[in-house]
Amino acid sequence: MKNKLKLLRVERNWTQEQLGQALGVSRQAVNALETEKHDPSLDLAYRIAALFARPVEEVFENPHG
Amino acid sequence: MTNCPPQVQSSAARRYRLRTLAFMIPYVAICVAMMATDAFDSIMGRPAAWLLALAVAAPIAGQIWAVLSFMRDSDEFVRAVTAKQFIVASGIAMALFTFWGFAENFAGAPHAEGWLIVPLFWGAFGAVAAFIRSSN
Repeated sequence: MKNKLKLLRVERNWTQEQLGQALGVSRQAVNALETEKHDPSLDLAYRIAALFARPVEEVFENPHG
Repeated sequence: MTNCPPQVQSSAARRYRLRTLAFMIPYVAICVAMMATDAFDSIMGRPAAWLLALAVAAPIAGQIWAVLSFMRDSDEFVRAVTAKQFIVASGIAMALFTFWGFAENFAGAPHAEGWLIVPLFWGAFGAVAAFIRSSN
């Protein structure tokens, strides 16, 4: 799923490890999200959006619309 | 997804490695002793042979528990990728063993012992892990 996760992370000068710690997931999970190798669960998508204080649809591109 | 801090995940990986060693060392030791020595020849055909069969099967069940525990304690990406790798490895092992079984019965292929399914599965699991890095 296309997303702005890397952009948002780099804007804050966070490493994948740091973002993973903030979200409670592994660095591998952050990397997989950024490279579109993993579609997040609804729960994780909302946690990411909340962390960056953005609506979910602003972080993740809606693949259906 | 449950919140699973990276520290918890790295300790889950560490526990998995320790459990794998704990289960695989006795398994391999029994298999090697069986193949390379005549240590178990004296119990052939006796009730103790059933105990030997149980002793070599128990670590395999333990290893499956170790994998499930690792998945439970990991984040959703690691869990999904591990499940995908496990399913693909199972499919490869079952397909190859079924192929060989029929080849034995109908094409005169040499006999392969049933317990070889386990090393075949774990070999396939290790091999597919190098290629399956996506949950999609």
